[in-house]
Amino acid sequence: MKFQIEDVTVYFPYDNIYPEQYSYMVELKRALDAKGHCLLEMPTGTGKTIALLSLITSYSLSKPQRQVKLIYCTRTVHEMEKTLAELKLLHNYQIKHLGPAAGILAIGLSSRKNLCVNPTVLAAENRDSVDAACRKLTASWVRALAAENPNVPTCEFFENYERAASAAVLPPGVYTLQDLRAYGREKGWCPYFLARHMVQFANVVVYSYQYLLDPKVAGIISKEMQKESVVVFDEAHNIDNVCIEALSVSVRSKTLDGASRNLSRINQEIERFKATDAGRLRAEYNRLVEGLAQRGNLAATDTWLANPALPDDILKEAVPGNIRRAEHFLHVLRRLVQYLRGRLDTENVEKESPISFVASLNTHAGIDQKTLKFCYDRLHSLMLTLEITDTDEFLHIQTICDFATLVGTYSRGFSIIIEPFDERMPHIPDPVLQLSCHDASLAIKPVFDRFQSVVITSGTLSPIDLYPRLLNFHPVVSRSFTMSLTRDCICPMVLTRGSDQLPVSTKFDMRSDPGVARNYGKLLVEMVSVVPDGIVCFFVSYSYMDGIINSWNETGVLKEIMQHKLVFIETQDVVETTLALDNYRRACDCGRGAVFFSVARGKVAEGIDFDRHYGRLVIMFGIPFQYTLSKILIARLEYLRDTFQIKEGDFLTFDALRQAAQCVGRVIRSKADYGMMIFADKRYSRHDKRSKLPGWILSHLRDANLNLSTDMALHIAREFLRKMAQPYDKTGTGGRKTLLSQEDLEKMAENGVQEMLF
Amino acid sequence: MASGQVTKRVKYKTSVKDPGTPGRLLLTMEKLAFRPNNPNSASKFDMEFRYIKNHKYTKEGSNKAPMLNLTSNQGVSYIFEFENYNDLQVCKEFVGKALSKSGETPKPADTSQSLSEQPSTEELLLRMNLLRENSELQKLHKRFVSDGVLTDAEFWATRKKLLSGDLSRKSKQRVGLKSVMLSDSKPLIDGRTNKVTFNLTPEIVREIFAEKPAVHQAYLNVVPNKMTDKDFWTKYCRAEYLHHSKNAHAAAAEAAEDEELALFLKPDDILASETRRKIRCVDPTLDMEADQGDDYTHLPDHGIVRDGSKEITDSQNEPYMRTLLQDLNRHSAVVLEGTAIDDEQLKDTQTVAEALIQSKQGHKTANEEDDGNASQEKLNRISKMMEIEDLQGSNDLPLAPLCIKDPRDYFDSQQACAFKTSRDTTIGTEAVSTREAYGSLRDSISQIKVMGLNDPIIKPEVAMKVLSVLTHNISSTKYHLGKNPRESVLDGFPNKIKEDLLHHWMSIEELLRHYWSSYPVTTAYLYAKVNRLKDAMSKIDSQLQVILAEMKESVQSDLRNQLTLLIRPMQQALEAAMQHHDADLQKRLAKSGERPNGYV
Repeated sequence: MKFQIEDVTVYFPYDNIYPEQYSYMVELKRALDAKGHCLLEMPTGTGKTIALLSLITSYSLSKPQRQVKLIYCTRTVHEMEKTLAELKLLHNYQIKHLGPAAGILAIGLSSRKNLCVNPTVLAAENRDSVDAACRKLTASWVRALAAENPNVPTCEFFENYERAASAAVLPPGVYTLQDLRAYGREKGWCPYFLARHMVQFANVVVYSYQYLLDPKVAGIISKEMQKESVVVFDEAHNIDNVCIEALSVSVRSKTLDGASRNLSRINQEIERFKATDAGRLRAEYNRLVEGLAQRGNLAATDTWLANPALPDDILKEAVPGNIRRAEHFLHVLRRLVQYLRGRLDTENVEKESPISFVASLNTHAGIDQKTLKFCYDRLHSLMLTLEITDTDEFLHIQTICDFATLVGTYSRGFSIIIEPFDERMPHIPDPVLQLSCHDASLAIKPVFDRFQSVVITSGTLSPIDLYPRLLNFHPVVSRSFTMSLTRDCICPMVLTRGSDQLPVSTKFDMRSDPGVARNYGKLLVEMVSVVPDGIVCFFVSYSYMDGIINSWNETGVLKEIMQHKLVFIETQDVVETTLALDNYRRACDCGRGAVFFSVARGKVAEGIDFDRHYGRLVIMFGIPFQYTLSKILIARLEYLRDTFQIKEGDFLTFDALRQAAQCVGRVIRSKADYGMMIFADKRYSRHDKRSKLPGWILSHLRDANLNLSTDMALHIAREFLRKMAQPYDKTGTGGRKTLLSQEDLEKMAENGVQEMLF
Repeated sequence: MASGQVTKRVKYKTSVKDPGTPGRLLLTMEKLAFRPNNPNSASKFDMEFRYIKNHKYTKEGSNKAPMLNLTSNQGVSYIFEFENYNDLQVCKEFVGKALSKSGETPKPADTSQSLSEQPSTEELLLRMNLLRENSELQKLHKRFVSDGVLTDAEFWATRKKLLSGDLSRKSKQRVGLKSVMLSDSKPLIDGRTNKVTFNLTPEIVREIFAEKPAVHQAYLNVVPNKMTDKDFWTKYCRAEYLHHSKNAHAAAAEAAEDEELALFLKPDDILASETRRKIRCVDPTLDMEADQGDDYTHLPDHGIVRDGSKEITDSQNEPYMRTLLQDLNRHSAVVLEGTAIDDEQLKDTQTVAEALIQSKQGHKTANEEDDGNASQEKLNRISKMMEIEDLQGSNDLPLAPLCIKDPRDYFDSQQACAFKTSRDTTIGTEAVSTREAYGSLRDSISQIKVMGLNDPIIKPEVAMKVLSVLTHNISSTKYHLGKNPRESVLDGFPNKIKEDLLHHWMSIEELLRHYWSSYPVTTAYLYAKVNRLKDAMSKIDSQLQVILAEMKESVQSDLRNQLTLLIRPMQQALEAAMQHHDADLQKRLAKSGERPNGYV
């Protein structure tokens, strides 16, 4: 359908539109017009992504003078694929109605591991070895060598791509990772470098958060993006955690051992170069005197992960004299490793601010703050000079330099925590030195500064006023949409008691109670016998899930469950989890029905949808609180309290409830879909916990469903499923329309918008 | 088989000892013809099927050559020797069909009027398949069609749906594996001795082989060359026991000593390679492995390690700890895949092992072929999945159709469940006595008499009361018996009675369906049919009487009541039909008095 929002003609690939999608677009358009940032919460299951994509593409179509580039960030690669698939749908529609003028170039960008088509490189096991294997074939000095000596192996895909030079472009269209690989294979061009090259010309770029947020990656990929671009962070409810993780480093004794090995290897290389090609080292020295601003001239294939700190100031300064010479730099690193080793060898937990850490480093090892700041770039430069290609071997020393640079750059918002062992396993000595970032706004600040419109959106952003504080920005639009439902197609319930009327909870003191495990098991057994197709269960942690499944196995509960449905489980092994998910979907498709056991905060909860028959019921066993005794969490809570005046308890509840809401929200995808959500913990019935749930769940949580036992929940489930099986009027009954056709929209345009919405 | 016609190379013999004349056998629906290779030979002949009385053939697996023996109604036999059993099989089926058809058509030429267009061969084939697969249908068919109550055409006319191509093809859906994990059965430990007993059946062995290809491989390698079947399984059970005891150190120690034992405890290499193959064709919108490949934030030692949201694993001795979770996932995957092994092949471990290998090979080649198609299909599916369903016209996803093996199982248990819950909810009204209900009904009636009808004619509470009393009997039976939802009233009877009842019930259903559908009687043909049906019905009615009488003696008293309850609706239905028939006849007679030109 086609309609006007003020001066923009929006092309929307469906015949109908939800009213909330329409108002979402209206708000988004205002934010774009105002050239400011915005924060939009809209429930899952209302087609957020397609609304966003179609407004922004239509916006740039209707304003050809103002080329708006869309940078769409997703949490995960599979979400990226989903987004691109939706974009494809939209693009086909726009092409059909506008002809080739609507042609856009949209690409997904990922790592070499996901884009490479060279079989020898792909044979490598993990991501880092794929990167290294690629470098071995494509680094500039390797290629220079190969030009003289035909026996040196190179990558034919990359060579073809280089030969094609400026002719190597992607024709307009929407390219998923798979499409890129297919295109690369067909043309014989390297899809990875082709995609990276095309990023600057593409109208839509879809990639993962870290390509903007993590300075290590963002430095390489995102440096040429124009200010006019619109940046979208989808599923952004966890964005603060991503920001924090991007700037955190931890050092173990394993890391230090590895780093020492790396250093001796570098030393050998230096000796070798001194003997054969001393000129190179001298040339490097001279370059360093002039500063580190050399990165712009590097061949694309030589770039490594960039500086972990924010780049602005660091490039302009000259490298301090004491680390300009390779041997001196090596000495500094040795001393640093030695110092860290000494710090790790401790009996007690220590917490320190970066300032005092740097001060003590200066007195004990004689390394000053400025030297630390340059460590990472100095290492990078040295490795290039030494022509090292097996970068995956050097990750340890890289970690150490990351740490040094971060600790030298930031004086606030961080703390250094040294723990001799994990509290949960005190008998196993495993010392860790962690540099943990507490301030989410540090990592995202350059994004807000560089781009004129940043859109942060998700199904759960409540309380919506907290995010601007956490991320320290000022949105021009900040709105939370409710969901207008044709029928009550979601049915949240709070289950407080088991079948024996005893309370259930995952509270610390009740967690190991066998009665609770039995009650949870009984609940699931009853539910699998009445709910068709897929059921998803979320547990608060892997260890809890592991324990409870084992106890169910011993008590025969699992056997009873398996009489009705197949069981699939998320494990810590992603490959296995992926296959389990794939099988789960097939089991639901073929009508056999299945249960999927998963973990809140796990990989599955983050981005896998359990819509339609893939999930008719979600059970959240317990409240997914963070491990509150963790030193890092405590430090972060202190920081939040001191800087933003956010109470510890409030933040913990907010964090736990957004995870819970995120888990159960996966169950619904459209208004024709339906699903139930069971919050199985007595603490959900308390107002202070419950009220943190997003409004669209709360509005369907009836008072009668607040304090249920297993048998009552079962009864409600039966009734609900029966009700949902009845045919209904999709356009909505009564005065409020829940599905708008083109006609409705035109009428609305005449009568004024507000009249029919909400 | 392209239906219509079959040609095969055969040797024609006049007797078993005859060396035979080589030539070709030509079969069509109407006749068979033999054309010898030597055109001058005298043995060329044509023959119509209706002259053939019966046919015999040699069984596969016997030492004799594959032969088909046709006997004509004059008593002459024609023997054909085929080159192999496949040919024989094809011809055998064809002849059988042709014979049944030729036997059918000439018989009741009068009844087949208008209704019966000659069904195509394909349809015939379908009918035969259906009859073969569905024993109940076969029984019905036998009872009515062979007894001449219904014609074949009439019988099938009410089952057009079964015959419509698609369905019949789907009915070939294999029976899946059970979801329950068999191989996880716990060892039996008797308290006195230090003995642990494991119980293995071929079914469990199948599961073990399917879920642990390494064990399967090992079995094929070492049994029976290196060790006996028994030794192998003893060793396997020992490994399982070690694994169960969750003592990783002990497992590691034992594995270090014993090579074969280690095999059972180590991670499965075959499985790992299979996993790698599978992960490549996984739906990209689910692929979390790709996600890991893109995650530079979590370089080793980057990100936050110990904030409590991430878990710690004890990595020591890890290869010797296969977790329950992995087992569960693996098991479910295998169940989902299904296996091509029939139950007949579940004899001993050796056959199971071999059958699995075969099915796997077949699977592999099939896989390689449709790899290309699959990826395209997958993409289409993803883009379909992406669409938001209610914003667009419906776009049905290709879902597998529901195929319930025995619908009775399903509905019985459903019903019992429903009864149970209705009891649960109406528990308050149970106490209402008949008298009370009657009283309140009478009250409301008298109220109506006084005040006239108002909006709810009868108050819902009153209606509910009366209804619950009236239906109390039914539900209480269900309630008392149906404590186990899978158990129904029928299961209380002896097997024979149960089967008889079901059979009668089905027959009555079939008859009534035909009976009511033939009203109004407008043609002589229908009239004849109704009469035939009526006779059959009265026969069944009397049979029911007999059953009732018999059972009054043989069955316990509490079951007797239920039996009458079950039989009564059948009798009522039959009676209603009879009455209607009589009334209709009366009317017809009266009419025919006025209009002598009527039918009949």
